Amino acid sequence: MTVFTLTEAEREAFLLPRLAALTARHRDACPPYARILAAIGSAPPYARVADLPWLPVRLFKTHELRSVPEERVFRVLTSSGTTGQAPSRIHLDREAAAAQPRMLAATLRTVLGEQRLPMLIVDSRAAVRGPALSARGAGVLGMMNLGRHYTFVLDEGGEVDAAAVRAFLTRHGGGRFLIFGFTFMVWLHLRELGLDLSRGILIHSGGWKRLADQAVDAAGFRSTLRRECGLTRVHDFYGMVEQIGTVFLEGPDGDGLYCPDFANVLVRDPETWEEAPPGVPGVVEVVSTLPTSYPGHVLLTEDLGVVHGVDDGVWPGKRFSVLGRLPRAEVRGCSDTAVAT
Amino acid sequence: MTPAGALVEVLFPAARAVTAEALLDELASGGALRAGDGRMRDFLAAFGRRLLAPDLARRHPELASLGFFLRPGELARTVDGLRGRHLRVPRGLILHIPPANVDTVFVYSWALSALMGNRNVVRVSPRSGAVATTIVRTLQETLAGADPVVAATQRIVTYDRSDVVTSALSAACDLRVIWGGDRTVAEIRRHPLAPHARDLTFPDRSSFAVVRAAAWLEAPPDTRDAVADGFASDSYWFDQAACSSPRTVFWVGSAADCDAARAAFTTCLARAVARRGWTVDTAMAVEKRVSTYGLAADGAAGTIGFHGNTLASVVLAAPEAAPRRWLGAGTFAHTRLGALAELARLVRRKDQTLTHFGFARAELEALAESLAGRGVDRMVPIGGALSFHRVWDGVDLPAEFTRLVTITG
Repeated sequence: MTVFTLTEAEREAFLLPRLAALTARHRDACPPYARILAAIGSAPPYARVADLPWLPVRLFKTHELRSVPEERVFRVLTSSGTTGQAPSRIHLDREAAAAQPRMLAATLRTVLGEQRLPMLIVDSRAAVRGPALSARGAGVLGMMNLGRHYTFVLDEGGEVDAAAVRAFLTRHGGGRFLIFGFTFMVWLHLRELGLDLSRGILIHSGGWKRLADQAVDAAGFRSTLRRECGLTRVHDFYGMVEQIGTVFLEGPDGDGLYCPDFANVLVRDPETWEEAPPGVPGVVEVVSTLPTSYPGHVLLTEDLGVVHGVDDGVWPGKRFSVLGRLPRAEVRGCSDTAVAT
Repeated sequence: MTPAGALVEVLFPAARAVTAEALLDELASGGALRAGDGRMRDFLAAFGRRLLAPDLARRHPELASLGFFLRPGELARTVDGLRGRHLRVPRGLILHIPPANVDTVFVYSWALSALMGNRNVVRVSPRSGAVATTIVRTLQETLAGADPVVAATQRIVTYDRSDVVTSALSAACDLRVIWGGDRTVAEIRRHPLAPHARDLTFPDRSSFAVVRAAAWLEAPPDTRDAVADGFASDSYWFDQAACSSPRTVFWVGSAADCDAARAAFTTCLARAVARRGWTVDTAMAVEKRVSTYGLAADGAAGTIGFHGNTLASVVLAAPEAAPRRWLGAGTFAHTRLGALAELARLVRRKDQTLTHFGFARAELEALAESLAGRGVDRMVPIGGALSFHRVWDGVDLPAEFTRLVTITG
């Protein structure tokens, strides 16, 4: 069973009524959202997914937006806001909280298979402990649901624990195993192990900014890991706390990120805000049917991306890349931005 | 003993590094200037002339405004304006802390203080831009023909975060001038002044425009274009983040007039912005969506409209919702008042500049009197928001930069 089955036309037909219904549901249940739609003059009928009103993702940092009454909020997720910024707060009811790990698992099952695999975590156990869990720690914990027999690549001090990894490989290296880590951590720590990881399936995420600083791109990342660790099954994914449970997964050939059946991506021209054709970079909009308890089903991200092709890859639908983050708006005014004493 | 990190990089009169103590010693032994001193006047006028040189003015139009501000006639008016029954003398040593992101502010503040005969230390941010560099270079070039007293009494310096230096300069000065927002003021105020000294602060302010709807509707097309053009330059020059750039437009008149005027004005403004070639980048476009959608979520915005990325218009749910905070370059809130006098209950201490169109001076004076100092320090025609004047933020700067000596014969 896989959730990468719908062609672009099928996906549009599947998503449009569901996302339009979510728009109506959130409009009824979330007064601030209803006021936004009224102010921008957005009203049904919506003929295309691209016509649905999007919210800038940062609004979840500045406003409390939820479509369930306070007593039905089961969990509030927060993002690791960048310095000086409030974190996003995402309100989940019991139903939404249950759906998100289920759909994440369904998405990754496509490359991991039905079994929970032994899991090598390119991080330290310290990252998943403590009352104040970092976003990285939360990401690791979320992924741990998909594995078993966990071994952390880094010790408590953040040093590579080669002995632990060797022991893991002795026990589990004969069959398939899962490796998870943040892209930069993987690049930093996996290569120096000098071990044969060829039966591993690497799932990684977290963005390319720090690797781009070292002039490492996705292709270089894949070819280096193949050469130095024997890793051939490598899957990047793209996702955000504001659409928790929805991840866009890199295909087996590394030819871009693919959308699960319950989600899609649009790249918008930053001048006209119309959908940009394949090959033309713009601002990434993500849509997903998972956000039922908060109006996050149609979000304009602050990421730049490009659609490479539609229904032309190993899985149906769009395949795309994320090119980087929009910079923060720079201001020239006289109210100071930073103080030097 | 001074820690190694407490060096001050002097940019003017000549580049070198000294300790704060050495800097203060030099200034203490520098020559004496009188208020309105002819030697300083000559230097400022010569500096102003250089700023008006065509190639410089073309590259940095804001320097031409500065050059205009420093023309000899204006300097003379400033000095003459302070004649009175008392003898005016310099205040002493003035420490200026200008904002990092408007490069020209420090020159206005410093020039008026220097004209009044003070010894000055101007602390330029290490983050300041190309314009600041050009200004310092031009000042150095002007020094060639100037009296030595200029170099002996004036310092432009820069240093990166140093409590030691800021404390030393603060303790030594007679007046500290802090531009650049609430946070800067709070931060700098941690450093005590001498008992007799005081602060002159320019904290965060916000500004708005008022237009009589009927006057706009009756105005001929070229007047409308000129007003829209002035409004655009008031707003877009510093990404609408200057304290005196308007954020809200109050339309005064009947609902029908105000709706019609607002719509026509927005079209005119979009054209004016396009004529000037002002654009905003994608990050700014997103910023504007976040802030305007946020106003709608809060119930402050009735409708939001976008003329491309450069111009966003928000019709407020009520005049009380007029936003004071920055909403992104080219984001204007609109609301309606039945009469100008209604502003009296809406104005806050933070409000600085009222730019206007369609009102008689007497009406504006009546408004100012009813406000009685509760806010609004400047009322200038639309297009004049950014023109610096020696009276700024309700403060007569040349007067602040001097003391009065009472002499009874």
